[in-house]
Amino acid sequence: MGKTILEVKDFSFTYNQAINKVLDHVNFRVDRGSFFCIIGANGSGKSTLCNSLVGLIPHYFSGEMEGGIRVDGMDVRKSSIGELSQKIGLVFQNPFNQLSYTAGTVAEELAYGLGNRGVPGKVMQEKIEHMAQLMRIDDVLSKNPTELSGGQVQRVALGSVFILDPEILVLDECTTQLDPLGAEEIFEIVKKINGSGVTVIVVDHDMERVASYADEVLVLSGGRAVKIGSPRSVFTDPELEQYGVNPPEYVKISDMLRKKGYTNRETAITEDQSIQMVKEALKG
Amino acid sequence: MKVEIKDLSYVYPSQDCALRGVSLVMEGTTPVAIVGQNGAGKTTLVKHLNGLLRPTSGQVLIDGVDINTHTTAQWSRKVGYVFQNPDDQLFLESVRKEFEFGPKHMGMRKEEIGERVEYVSNLVGLADQLDTHPFDLTSTQKRFCTIGIIMMMNPDLILFDEPTCGQDAQGIRRLRKIIQELRNQGKLCITISHDMRFVAENFKRIIVMKKGEAILDDDIEKVFARTETLKQCFITPPPITRVAQGADLKKTPFTGKAFMEAFEEERERRICQM
Repeated sequence: MGKTILEVKDFSFTYNQAINKVLDHVNFRVDRGSFFCIIGANGSGKSTLCNSLVGLIPHYFSGEMEGGIRVDGMDVRKSSIGELSQKIGLVFQNPFNQLSYTAGTVAEELAYGLGNRGVPGKVMQEKIEHMAQLMRIDDVLSKNPTELSGGQVQRVALGSVFILDPEILVLDECTTQLDPLGAEEIFEIVKKINGSGVTVIVVDHDMERVASYADEVLVLSGGRAVKIGSPRSVFTDPELEQYGVNPPEYVKISDMLRKKGYTNRETAITEDQSIQMVKEALKG
Repeated sequence: MKVEIKDLSYVYPSQDCALRGVSLVMEGTTPVAIVGQNGAGKTTLVKHLNGLLRPTSGQVLIDGVDINTHTTAQWSRKVGYVFQNPDDQLFLESVRKEFEFGPKHMGMRKEEIGERVEYVSNLVGLADQLDTHPFDLTSTQKRFCTIGIIMMMNPDLILFDEPTCGQDAQGIRRLRKIIQELRNQGKLCITISHDMRFVAENFKRIIVMKKGEAILDDDIEKVFARTETLKQCFITPPPITRVAQGADLKKTPFTGKAFMEAFEEERERRICQM
């Protein structure tokens, strides 16, 4: 097994009837087992990139495509969505788009992908029960998915992808409907899944969260990959704001303390680092 | 504008009790934020303020008038509700038609509609998208389109349900501007949000809901100082506040400036003790 699990090479995409490229000669690699975050302003191409990684582009959304994407050796262009789904799973930005609308209950919704794979009934039942508990939706298993609140649908959407145990998990702003601790809880689950060896690719607008979870961060701006690196190198880049991204608040705190001479430590990018820095600065 | 909610309870047809005796008064132009866990009853509560839902028991008064005396369509002149999911709200073939629909049915003059289209489309950032089909807009633009639709009708009370959902830094700045503009015009904005930084930067009064009850209703400083209660409601204070609390600063700051003041005050205090 190679170190790289996913490779995007000189990739460009223009939707049908659109004039501008949504993705413009994008290049990057994702290491096997890493927690990889994609950030950027709205309209920078993040969701289009997610759709490209799992093959929805070019197999579902048509347009003009250049360059290529390889998912663990598979050429996305030459592989079907079905083949790719054995390896890579995407949780959509809008959880309502994740629903099959053929399932009468949440349990059937969770079973949908497993059924397509021919997983035996008994195994399926166990997996559904486990996933429902993990996602805290065990009390709504017999409800129709369309009757649920936005937050509950988001948990169902996440569960319906997690249950397929993909080797690569792509999450496109997957906690927007959840309360703050609920979102944190989902990220802790994702981190655990990542810890078991699954490669995770996350699109998120919450920079504090990105800074604390990511191994590597990719910044998209106007369809171009303008920066890639560790959270520290990305979030301490003074040019970041011109890409429509504000660094975590912790960076602001560090800058203020440094400017007034209260600290000379390196910039804090997570809550823990920031608290540590402030405590030290208080001692004088 | 005055909103009075008196001992309001609501039970859904499925027998789920979503509100349990909520009493609140919201008045004037100071924007109010409602926060709380998923399923706490936030959306159910605001849907009572334009009559989309009717109390199972208790009473809702808008400027002294019982909500039950009018239909939701009648209330729409006075109360605008921006849905959580923009797709639930959009149905016409261009942004312009969406903007004109409400005012036309209210009988607003043609010239006034034209003026408002220009003003509102600039404010929500869709001036160059007026002839675009709403379904061709990005998810953020759709959200601003639904905000524009409500502003077009010029209501006195505007209800925002999770407006920050999926917004980037620029979108958040635009929302902030819209809320300030509405306030300057004498409108009352009530906003549901999970984004505590947005809440801290834009609202003075916070209502925290838990399991169908309004358990806290106070100034933002006092609300975010109640960390244990907030935790039970699945709420975490914004990052700057959390750092201040983690480092045991005595005050509860929400902005960079307030943070530095709190920090320097604490530093001073410790130096004096030595």
